[in-house]
Amino acid sequence: MTSPVFSAPAVRKGRAFPKEGGLTDSRDVAQQGFFETGFGKAIARNWAFFFLILMTIVFSLTSRGFFDIVNFQNIIHLSTGAFLLAAAETLVVITGGIDLSVGYVYGLSSVLGAKVMQILSGAGMPVANVVLLGCAASLLVSLIPGFINGIVITRFKVPSFIATMGMWGICNGLTLFLADGFMPVMGAPEIINKIGNGFLLYIDPGKSVSFFQKPSYIPDTGIRQLVRLFPNSLFLTLIALLAVGFLLRRTAFGRHTYAIGGSMDAAVRSGIRVQKHLVIIYTLSSFLSGLAGLFNLFQTGIGNYTPSGANYELMAVAAVVIGGASLTGGKGRILGTAVGVLVLAVLENGLQIMGVSAFYRYIGVGILLVIAVIIDRAFPDLF
Amino acid sequence: MNRDTGLSNADFKGGIRYSLGRNWVLIFIFLELLIFSLANKAFFSIETIQLILFNGTEVFLLAIAELFVIITGGIDHSVGFVMGFATVVASKSIVALSGAGLPPFASILLGSLLTVLIGLLPGFVNGWLVAYLRVPAFIATFAMLGVTHGVSELLTQGIPAKNLPSLAGDIGNGSFLYIPPSGVWSFFVRPQVERGQHVWAIIPNMVVFSFFFIALFAFILKRTRFGRHLYAIGGNMDAAIRSGINVKHDLVKTYVVSSLFASLAGITYVMKYITGKPDAGANMVLEAIAAVVIGGASMAGGSGSVGRTVLGALIIAVLETGLRIMGLQTFTTYILVGVILILAVVIEQAFPNFKR
Repeated sequence: MTSPVFSAPAVRKGRAFPKEGGLTDSRDVAQQGFFETGFGKAIARNWAFFFLILMTIVFSLTSRGFFDIVNFQNIIHLSTGAFLLAAAETLVVITGGIDLSVGYVYGLSSVLGAKVMQILSGAGMPVANVVLLGCAASLLVSLIPGFINGIVITRFKVPSFIATMGMWGICNGLTLFLADGFMPVMGAPEIINKIGNGFLLYIDPGKSVSFFQKPSYIPDTGIRQLVRLFPNSLFLTLIALLAVGFLLRRTAFGRHTYAIGGSMDAAVRSGIRVQKHLVIIYTLSSFLSGLAGLFNLFQTGIGNYTPSGANYELMAVAAVVIGGASLTGGKGRILGTAVGVLVLAVLENGLQIMGVSAFYRYIGVGILLVIAVIIDRAFPDLF
Repeated sequence: MNRDTGLSNADFKGGIRYSLGRNWVLIFIFLELLIFSLANKAFFSIETIQLILFNGTEVFLLAIAELFVIITGGIDHSVGFVMGFATVVASKSIVALSGAGLPPFASILLGSLLTVLIGLLPGFVNGWLVAYLRVPAFIATFAMLGVTHGVSELLTQGIPAKNLPSLAGDIGNGSFLYIPPSGVWSFFVRPQVERGQHVWAIIPNMVVFSFFFIALFAFILKRTRFGRHLYAIGGNMDAAIRSGINVKHDLVKTYVVSSLFASLAGITYVMKYITGKPDAGANMVLEAIAAVVIGGASMAGGSGSVGRTVLGALIIAVLETGLRIMGLQTFTTYILVGVILILAVVIEQAFPNFKR
C-alpha cells in the first residue's frame, strides 16, 4: 500500500534540525543538552499535553468564564464527535492507511437515524422502539462503508487514500439524497435530545441530588440553577476511547495493528492475516464514525448532513497527528489522540470566549498543526 | 499465455485488452455521451459540449494544480480554499480598483494580476514547509487550507463580494468567436442582431483562458528540465537528490504552480459568477484529485500527464453537466464520482502492464 504522504529521506544536506552526531554549533549543543535531561525528554514527548495545560492557563487568566466547570463540560460535550472520529482515524493511521470517509459516514449515520426515527414515529410506533430501531439502523448501516473500504483496499489493492475518498463522495451523495438536498432531517422523538444533552448528576445545592433526570419540581427554564455534572456525552466518549485504547494496548488484535503499520511485509511473514485485519480496522473506523453521527443526532435532535468543506476527516487526522501518531504508520496512542482533540477543542473554545472571530480559529489550527509536525520531526526517536 | 507473467498476448502492446485498458477513460467518456444523448434528444449539440467545458473550467484548473503536486508524490488539500481565497482577493481588489476610478477593463486586469501574485504565496509557504521543514504534504497543505479559509473569511466578513463591474461578467460568460446569420465573424464582442436571430457562440472565453495555461504547463511538464525533474522526484526522491537535482527548489516551485492554478480557477470563478466567496472551491478538491487519479497518475508519485488529467476531468465534467441537464440533483454526481474514482484504480490494477 502506498502512503500519500511525502516524507523526505534522511540524506539531505542542510536539514532543518540536527540529528545525533550532527552537532555544529554551541546553540545546538545546548538544545540537545536540555532535551536529553529527563525533564526535557518528558516535555518533548508530551509536548501536546504541556501545550494543552499552558493554553488552559493562558485562557483562564485572559478570559473570564473559561475556567469554569460548566465550560469544561461544554468543551467535552461539543467535541464528542471529534473524539470518536479521531479515535476511528487513530486505528486506521496506525496501520499506515488513512480514512477520509469518516466525516461523511458521520453525516450519513446522523441523517439516516433521524430519517428512520421520523418515518417510524410517523407510523405511530412507541417511542422506545422508534429510538432503538433508529439507532440500530444507523449503526448497522455505518458498518457498510467501512467494510467496502476494507474490501476495496485489500482485495483490489486500491490505495486507502483513494478508496476512502471515493467512499467520501458516495456517502456524501447518499446523505444528501436522504436529506432531500440540503435540509436537516427533523421529526425524531424529543426524548433523544434529553438523552444526548443529559447529565449523570443533577445537584440542587442544599436540597437534592438526582441521577440522570432533573428534579421534577424544577421547570425546564430553571435548569440553569442546578449544578450538573458528568454529561452523558462524557460517558460515551470515555467508553469509546477506553474500548479502543484497550483494543490497541491489551489485545493481540492491537499488537497486530501496530505490526501492520510498522512493516506490512513483516506482518504478512509473521502470519498475521493482514487482509482480514485491515477489513476489520476499516469497518471499526466506519462504525465509530457512525456512532459519532448517531450521538450528534442525540445532541441536536435533528439529522445533520456534513456540509461540504467541513473537513471533519482532516480535523480528525490533525488531532491524531498532534497526538503523536505518524502518518507512515506503526505509531500512535489513543491517549495522545484524546489530547490532540482537546488541544483543538480548547483552542477553539478559548478563542471563542476571548471574543476572537471564529475565522482566526482556522488559522490557529493550521499553524498549530504545522508546529506539531515540526516538533515531531525534531525529536524523531523520542516518541 | 505468457508463463512468466500470467498475462496473455492480448495484454501486451498492440493487444485488445491493452488498448481497452489504456484507453478506458476515452471509452467511458464516449459511453457517457452516448447514454446522455439517448436519454435526452437535445443533449448532443455544440452548445452542450461548450457548456460542459464551461462548467468544468475550475475542475480542469484545479486538477492540473493537483497533478503537479501528485507527480512529486505529494498531495495538496489546500487548492479548494486557495481558490476561494483567490476569488475573494480578485473580487475585492477589482471592486477597490474600479472604485478608485480606474476603467473597468484595467481594474479587472490589474486585479487579476494582483490575485495571481498574492495567490502564489500559499503555494510558496506550502512548498517551503514540505521541502525545508519536512512537514508531510498532507499536513502542511491542510494547515494552509485552514489559514486561507480563515483569511478569506476575515476579508469578506461573511458577505460574498459584490458590485463588480458588469464587464467582468461579460468577459466570463462571453465567447471567443461569434457567428451571426449574416456570416460576418466577430471576436469577443457579441454582434447586435435582430430579435429572434440565432448567433453561434464558439468557445467560451474562460475555456480559452484556462486551456491557454493548461497547454503552457503541459509544455513545461513535458519539455523542460523542471518538468522532468518532477517525475524524477516523484519516482525516486533519493535518486533525484543523488543525481544532483535541487529537490527543495523544485518542490517549492511545484507547490507554487499548484497555488497558481488554484488562483487561476478563482479568477475564472469570479469572472463567471461575478462574486467571490471563501468556500467557492470547497467541494471541488474531491473532483480534482479524482480527475488526476482517473487520468492514471499514481498517488505514490512519478507518473501522470496533463492530457490524461484533462480527460479525467472531462469524465467528471460530462457527468456533472449531463446529470444536470437530465434534471438529477447534484448529489448523484458525488456518488458517481466516488464510484468512478475507485473503479479507476481497480481498472489500473486489472491492466498492470502498461506504462504511463
